[in-house]
Amino acid sequence: METIWLYQFRLIVIGDSTVGKSCLIRRFTEGRFAQVSDPTVGVDFFSRLVEIEPGKRIKLQIWDTAGQERFRSITRAYYRNSVGGLLLFDITNRRSFQNVHNWLEEAQSHVQPHSIVFLLVGHKCDLEAQRQVTQQEAEKLAGAFGMRYVETSARDAINVEKAFVDLTRDIFELVRNGDIKIQDGWEGVKSGFVPNTVHSSEEVTKGSRQCFC
Amino acid sequence: MANTTHGTESRRDSHCGVYGGAIVENGCAVKNLSASDPSTQTNNHCHVPIMHSEPILPAYMPTCSSTPLYYSSPQKSCSDQNQDCHSLSSQDSGIPTLEINPPEPILHQRSGDGGLILDSNHDSPATLPLDDDPSDSNTIRKSSTFPRSGYDSIRLFSPALRLSTTTGMTIGGGALNRSDDISVCSVSSMSTELSVSNEDILDFTVTSDSSAIVTLETDVSNAASFSDVTLSSLSPGNPRDLWSPGSGVAEQEGDGRQKKLGSLASFFNKSLFARRLKESRPVEQRDPGWKLFGKVPPRETPTKDPKRIQKEYETKSGRAGPGNPTSPRKSVRKNLDFEPLSTTALILEDRPANLPAKPAEEAQKHRQQYEEMVAQAKKRELKEAQKRKKQLEDRCKLEESIGTAAQTWNQEILPNWSTMCTSRRVRDLWWQGIPPSVRGKVWSLAVGNELNITHELYNICLSRAKEKWKTMPAPASETETEDAGSSDRESSLELIKLDISRTFPHLCIFQQGGPYHDVLHSILGAYTCYRPDVGYVQGMSFIAAVLILNLDTADAFIAFANLLNKPCQMAFFRVDHSLMLTYFSAFEVFFEENLPKLFAHFKKNSLTPDIYLIDWIFTLYSKSLPLDLACRVWDVFCRDGEEFLFRTALGLLRLYQDVLTCMDFIHMAQFLTRLPDLIPAEQLFQHIASIHMTSRNRKWGQVLQALQKDQERCSPVLKR
Repeated sequence: METIWLYQFRLIVIGDSTVGKSCLIRRFTEGRFAQVSDPTVGVDFFSRLVEIEPGKRIKLQIWDTAGQERFRSITRAYYRNSVGGLLLFDITNRRSFQNVHNWLEEAQSHVQPHSIVFLLVGHKCDLEAQRQVTQQEAEKLAGAFGMRYVETSARDAINVEKAFVDLTRDIFELVRNGDIKIQDGWEGVKSGFVPNTVHSSEEVTKGSRQCFC
Repeated sequence: MANTTHGTESRRDSHCGVYGGAIVENGCAVKNLSASDPSTQTNNHCHVPIMHSEPILPAYMPTCSSTPLYYSSPQKSCSDQNQDCHSLSSQDSGIPTLEINPPEPILHQRSGDGGLILDSNHDSPATLPLDDDPSDSNTIRKSSTFPRSGYDSIRLFSPALRLSTTTGMTIGGGALNRSDDISVCSVSSMSTELSVSNEDILDFTVTSDSSAIVTLETDVSNAASFSDVTLSSLSPGNPRDLWSPGSGVAEQEGDGRQKKLGSLASFFNKSLFARRLKESRPVEQRDPGWKLFGKVPPRETPTKDPKRIQKEYETKSGRAGPGNPTSPRKSVRKNLDFEPLSTTALILEDRPANLPAKPAEEAQKHRQQYEEMVAQAKKRELKEAQKRKKQLEDRCKLEESIGTAAQTWNQEILPNWSTMCTSRRVRDLWWQGIPPSVRGKVWSLAVGNELNITHELYNICLSRAKEKWKTMPAPASETETEDAGSSDRESSLELIKLDISRTFPHLCIFQQGGPYHDVLHSILGAYTCYRPDVGYVQGMSFIAAVLILNLDTADAFIAFANLLNKPCQMAFFRVDHSLMLTYFSAFEVFFEENLPKLFAHFKKNSLTPDIYLIDWIFTLYSKSLPLDLACRVWDVFCRDGEEFLFRTALGLLRLYQDVLTCMDFIHMAQFLTRLPDLIPAEQLFQHIASIHMTSRNRKWGQVLQALQKDQERCSPVLKR
């Protein structure tokens, strides 16, 4: 049966084609690394529960989008209903890094009046020898756009958990502080059923009350 | 579904390597076991004393007497105590464990007294289907449409078993002082192997430790007579069944595990096979002589009645040796008219003479339990045998019908294509699926060549594409000053390269070095030169690949270009957003008409058609459906056009209507973007057939046209 979760966050994963979006998500949701995977056409779906604090579970609904530029007109429709996003580039592919600001602009212009909490992810960090983007410049870029930066590897399972959990925590803080509000007709954040016995802390009851009004 | 692991990051990540690993876990368990002190081993009791030499025996005595069960089941000795040894399934799962384990002690032995086991020639025998490359063997097994090589799997493991016998023997006979190094498993596999093949030897084994060694030795050296017995007891066992516990694991696991299996395979390959080859006659790939726990790959007389096999087996084994008439197993076996295959590895043992005998009631209880297990297994295997028989009959029938259909297409329809292609009879035959041998021809004819592309034009486009590849800067990252537009076009050439290897990866034919890699590359490259305005779009590689599988290169290109030139495909591949929306709206009209309940459920969960249709339409189902089923959809798509793509979508929704109505958004989305691996073809086509593509007396084309006219009013999907 459905495990009880406090909130459901919809996350979108974007970035150039073949930077490893699907592999990263698969590693996070299925715990394995597929040597070969199909190119994503349109959008794929994944979900996982994350416990950010003991007893506080967040259900992540992850939208994995096609990376090819041609598909952007399709995928941009999915930004609006996302509360957070992972923006991936491949540290061994400089162009994918250069396209980061295109992706950001694209996203920002299509989510108005909402905004998406983005996390910049430098992927394939196991391929250190082929690195074309330094950690410093990536951190600088992330800082300029007010994002966190993390380097991950789906192959070696490096920072995969951290990337998703950190982003989830950030969003959770914003929701708890009321910076992000649950709204009708917006799928970004949804409140789950919260039994009093398990979660009795103040902010939790506040959160659950929010969804009924 | 959703993973509830909340552990720290490191914990989770480290977990991933051995995810779901039955083999690894068992392997580890055994490893620990063999490395641990004798007292722990005694807790895993069983028939270890049988093969161990005297010096350690006393250590086993006390715990053994408290042993609740005394089966010579391999699983018992290898798995932990918690495992339910009564369950037949766990007994099955014990088998692969066994196969994995023997190398452990062998490794010990190799360094010590290699003379007997090791062959100086470490090269892999050429005739054996094993591959040192783990990725190779595993990807084939993973494939859903490619025939699984369960046959190979057996080949892979059964010699290992045989050889573990050899090893056990060597250990017992040659290196008694090292017996504490022997893992329980190698011993257990040994006695098991023997009990399957030759009862008398087993009896010997049970009663006398030292003489067993001698018997074994002779047995192995007389490999010919040994395999005689195994050959005669051939059964219609399905090799896939045998492999299945392992393959299920192989599918789940990560690459780390594959490597593990691979290295194991190469190990068998190197030291064990060589021995086997030298010892007896060379093993041909199709030789059915290998035997694994009473099951052998189906080779001869696959429809043989199990009862007959059993009779043959009994007479054979009776002839093979006079036997011990007082053997308890014998009496048990005599009671059965059909020996269940899976339980041939499970033998009820009396305690060895050097241990206190079981109390009578305990022995009785164990006997009873044993008989229950055997009876259950027997029942199940009878059922399975019947099922297999029926499957075989069905397949024969199907093959026959395909044969006659191919004849009809070749001799009657194709020569008179223009007059016959619209006839009722041909349309009916068409619906049932075009035989693969004529599929390509029919597709070509049905798609037509409106664009009048010739083979010459294809060659021109291809040579232009090759020019471009040559001049293309090797690493794309160095071209930093490009504007976005041209970079997209440039990268489309690059993207083709990357996507080719991601096209039907499990088939292993489009990847670098595969037979169709260059063909796929050529067709996609030529198309970007033929239609630079369209270029390469992800999803195209799948369409081209399906065509390549059914047509020659140039004809595949012609069909590819003409197929993509159809209005629906143009709308999608050029990502003409408003036109795509119109298609989705038209689809929804027929959705509501045909499946109002499900339509309402989708609306309620705001599941819009773009979420699943984009993938289905872009790749013409070749990515989402099993390949053979996708080809059947293509058959009718070539006949009926775009309408059929949407009709198929509705057929799929109708087929899974009940499942879908119980799901929420994310589960529906996941279900539809990753359809089940096994989709019953006939059922799907029945559901497609019951979808009516008329709405208020308007056909698909009319609905679409009407919607196109008032586009403004109907853009519910993507213009949020």
